[in-house]
Amino acid sequence: MSENFSLPLRPLVEKPERPDSLPVEIAQINAQYGSFRDVTEESLRAKIEADKNKDPWSEEDDGEKELSDEDTAERLDQLYKKRAAITQFALQAHMETSFALDFISLLLSKNTPVQAEMSMSPYLKQVAPLGSLNAEVIHPPPKTEAAVNDTKSVARGWRLQNFNSAANKLLDSATRLESAVESETKYWNEVLAVKAKGWKVCRLPRERQALGVQYGFLEATPMFRDRGLAALRRTNDGSLLLDKGLIPLKARTVRVRVKSHGQLTGCSKRRPTTEDADSTESRILQARDTVYEEELFHELVREARILGSQGVTTRQNLVRFPVSEEQEVLLDLVDDGHELLADDEPTSHEHDPVADALAHSVRILLAYAHRQNLRRRTQPPPPLSPKRRQTPEYQLLRPVMAYLQHSSHVRWLESLLNDVNQVLKSAGLTSDFTCTPFSSLNFKRFNSSVPKVEALVQEFLLPYESTFSGKLVCPQSSFRTKVRTNVVTPPFGTHYDISVNVPQYPEIRPPNRIGLQDEAAWVLTHFVLLDILTAICQVKATGDKKKEGLLTWQAAYPHDGELMAVSSTGQCRKMKVSLSRHELTVDVYAIREIDAFRRPAATKTSTIRSHTWKLGDAAGQPSLEDFVAEVSKP
Amino acid sequence: MHELLLFASVPAHQHHELLQQLAGLTAMQPRHRLERRVIYKAYRKPGLINTRVGASQDLQGHDMQRLNKMLNGGMFYTQVVGPVSEADFGAQSPSEDPDAPMSGTDAEEGSGNHLYNYENQPWKLEFRDIPEAGTRSAVTSRLMASASLPKGDISTPMNAWGYSYVTEYAVEGDAFILNDIVIFLHRVLHYPTEQESHAPRRQLPPFQQMSPLERTGSYVLQASITVQDGGNQEMMRTASQHLFGLREQLKSAVRLEQADRLSLDTRAK
Repeated sequence: MSENFSLPLRPLVEKPERPDSLPVEIAQINAQYGSFRDVTEESLRAKIEADKNKDPWSEEDDGEKELSDEDTAERLDQLYKKRAAITQFALQAHMETSFALDFISLLLSKNTPVQAEMSMSPYLKQVAPLGSLNAEVIHPPPKTEAAVNDTKSVARGWRLQNFNSAANKLLDSATRLESAVESETKYWNEVLAVKAKGWKVCRLPRERQALGVQYGFLEATPMFRDRGLAALRRTNDGSLLLDKGLIPLKARTVRVRVKSHGQLTGCSKRRPTTEDADSTESRILQARDTVYEEELFHELVREARILGSQGVTTRQNLVRFPVSEEQEVLLDLVDDGHELLADDEPTSHEHDPVADALAHSVRILLAYAHRQNLRRRTQPPPPLSPKRRQTPEYQLLRPVMAYLQHSSHVRWLESLLNDVNQVLKSAGLTSDFTCTPFSSLNFKRFNSSVPKVEALVQEFLLPYESTFSGKLVCPQSSFRTKVRTNVVTPPFGTHYDISVNVPQYPEIRPPNRIGLQDEAAWVLTHFVLLDILTAICQVKATGDKKKEGLLTWQAAYPHDGELMAVSSTGQCRKMKVSLSRHELTVDVYAIREIDAFRRPAATKTSTIRSHTWKLGDAAGQPSLEDFVAEVSKP
Repeated sequence: MHELLLFASVPAHQHHELLQQLAGLTAMQPRHRLERRVIYKAYRKPGLINTRVGASQDLQGHDMQRLNKMLNGGMFYTQVVGPVSEADFGAQSPSEDPDAPMSGTDAEEGSGNHLYNYENQPWKLEFRDIPEAGTRSAVTSRLMASASLPKGDISTPMNAWGYSYVTEYAVEGDAFILNDIVIFLHRVLHYPTEQESHAPRRQLPPFQQMSPLERTGSYVLQASITVQDGGNQEMMRTASQHLFGLREQLKSAVRLEQADRLSLDTRAK
C-alpha cells in the first residue's frame, strides 16, 4: 500500500455557484438588525468592540463566582431547591412514560388483549374497556416538491455538519496520537540509549508501571543502596527526566584539606565538570557519584566516632584527624557547585598532592569495603539467632591515618639519624645506616583465592613497619630500629623497637616499645655516645707506637659521657663528651686529686681544652681522633 | 539447631533459566557445589543394651536414666558430606600403584596431573531428624546438627561410634545466598557401578560416568534457613516468614512447598 495514501475525512463542500443575490441579503439584514437608517459607523464599531470583549463563558463564570461567594446556608438552600427540581423532573418523566405505556397498551389491546393487559395501569383498566382504541395506516397526502427539497437540504446540512465534526475529532485525535507517538519514541530512544551505555534498567519495585535506572552500589549500606535507584520519567515533550524522589539534586563531594601550622596548605581537586552536564548519562553519573560520596562521608563519620581516643574529632559536617603535631587533615562534604569562602581558600598549594592522594585512597578503601561486603553476603549465613549481625565500621580513616603517621615518624627518624651522622662525620667518625621504609608491605604474597585488587588493598590494612639498621662508630657495634604503626588493633599508635649491639656494654638494653619520639631520640643518641666513648678508649688501647706515651682514657661514667685518664705522673684528666642531634662537644678538664673512689674533686677542675663539632660544619676541622690525641699528650 | 525447608522440583529445561533468575534475585553469581555424601546407619552394639544388671539401688540415679535413654533411644541414619571439585572426579590417587589398570588412562587424559587424595578429604557429619509432625506451619522443620570430622578415612571413626556404612552418592548443584536463606539447586548423582563395598570410595570415577538419580535430569530446589534455637518461637516464625517471602517472590517461576514428612524420615528401623 502506498504510504501517501490519504483518506479524505471531510465531506466535499460544494461552493454554491452563485452567492446569494443582493436582495436576499438586504432582506436578511433588515430582518436581523432593523432598518439601515439606524446603522452608523459608531454603532457598528461599538458592536464589534463589544463582541470582542465578550467572553463566551463570562456569564457562567460570573455565576460560579457568585456561587462561591455565597455562604453555606444559601448554598444548602439552593441544593435543596435543585434537588426538588430534579425530583420533580423525574416524577414528571415517570408520569409521561406511564401515560405513553398506557396509551400503547390500550392500542395493542385490540390485537393481543392478554399481553396488553399486563402492562396497563389499573386505573386505565377501570376506565377504558379493552380494545376500545384502534389504529389504521393512512396514506398522507404527497408532499410538495418544495417541502421535499427542504427536508433534503436540511438533512444534508445535518449530515455535513456531523461529518465535519466527526472528521475534526478524528483529525484531532490523529494529531494527538502523532505527538504521543513522537514523544514516546523519543522517550524510549533515550531509555535505550541509557541501557546501551550499560546501566541497569528495571521496573520500580513500588511503582510497577514506571521504569527506573539503577546506578547505586549493591553492597552499600541499605540506606544508600536503596537510594541508588531513580525513576526514568517522561516529560510532556517526551524527553527523559531522572526522578530521584526527595533526594536533593545537588552533586556533593568529599573534600580533603590539609592544615599545617593552622594554615590550609592543601585541598583535593574538585571533580571536573562535564561539558554536557544536561545529558541523561551525565546526570546518572552525577547521581551515582553523589550517592557514593555521601556514603563515603557517612562511613567516615561512623568510623571517626570510634576513633575518638586517637584524636579524631567530628563536627556536624567535618571530620578532623591529626597527622603530626603541626599537621592535621580535614574531611568534609561540600556541594559541587559551591564557591570557596574566603577563609576556606588554601594559603598555599604545597600539600595538594597529599590531599588528592588521601581523597583517592578513602574512595579506594570504600570500594574495597564494598567488595568485602559482597564476600560476606555470599558466604553461607550463620544460624538465625536473636542477636543481629552488625556491620563493623569500614576501615577508611584508619589505614590512611596509619600511613600518614607512620611516614611522618619514619621521616623524623631518618632526619634524626642523618643529623647525627653529619655531626659524627664532621668529627671525622664514620657511621652509616640504611632505611627501608614500609618494609612490611609485601606485594609478592598474593594468594590466588583473593582477586589481585583486593590483595593489593589488603596489604595496606596490615600494621605498617619500617626498619632502620646501621653501623655505629666501632666496627663491632650496630643498631636496628623497627618503627611499627598500628591503628586497627591495640596497641594503637607508633612504637619504636630499638635493638643495639654494643659489645662493650652487653648489659645495657634499650626499653621495649618506645612510644615517644623524644625518648627514642634520647635512647639512640645515648647509644651513639656510648659507642663514641668505646671508640675513644679503643683508640688508646690499640694505640700504635706513634701514640705511645699518650694518656690512656677509660670510661669512668659512661652514661654521663665521662672519661678519665691518669698519667704516670699521677696527673689526672677528665674528658666529658656530650652528643645531641646538633652537636658533639668534648671538654677536657685537668683534675689534681682523686679521692678513694676515683672521683675527681669537682671543685678543683679547670678546663684545658674544649671543642664542639656542629651540624653543618665545614670539613677541615680537626677530627675527634686528632683532638683526643692532642689532649692526651702528657 | 533447627532447619526450616521448602522444596520445589525443577525440570531440566527450566534449570538454566532458573539459575539466571536466582542470580538476579540474590544479586550474586551461583556458587557451584559438588559433594560426595556417604550414608551411615547407626546400629546397637550387642551386649550394650542391658543396663539393668546391677542390683544396686543407688545406681538407678539420674545418670543411669540418661544412659538408658541414650542407648535405647531411636537410631538414625546420618550422612557424612565431603566437598570435592570436578577435577577430583577421575583423578588418580597420589600413592596409587602404577600397575593398577583402574581407569588410569581416562584420568590422565581428563584431568591432567590433578590428584585426588582421599587422605586429605575433609568431612562433615550431618545429622537430620525426621521433620516435626503436626506443625500447622507450611514449612518443613526439623532438628539438625553438623560437626566437622577429621580429614581422611572416615570409616574407622564412624565404625567406632556405632555407625555402619550403607551407601554413597554425590550431589552437584549451585548455591545462592539470600540474606539468611540458602537456596540450593541441586541433583543427586549415582556412581556408575554399585560395587559391593563397605567403605567409601578412595577414588572417584570420571564425572561423565555419574548418572543422575532422576532419569529426566531434573533438579531439586531447596530453600533452607537454620535457626540457632528451635525453642524460640519468634525466631522460628521470622524464619518461616522469610521462607514464605521467598516463595512469593519465586511464585511465577517455581512452586516451593513443604516436603512429605515421611519421605525425609531418617530413623533406622
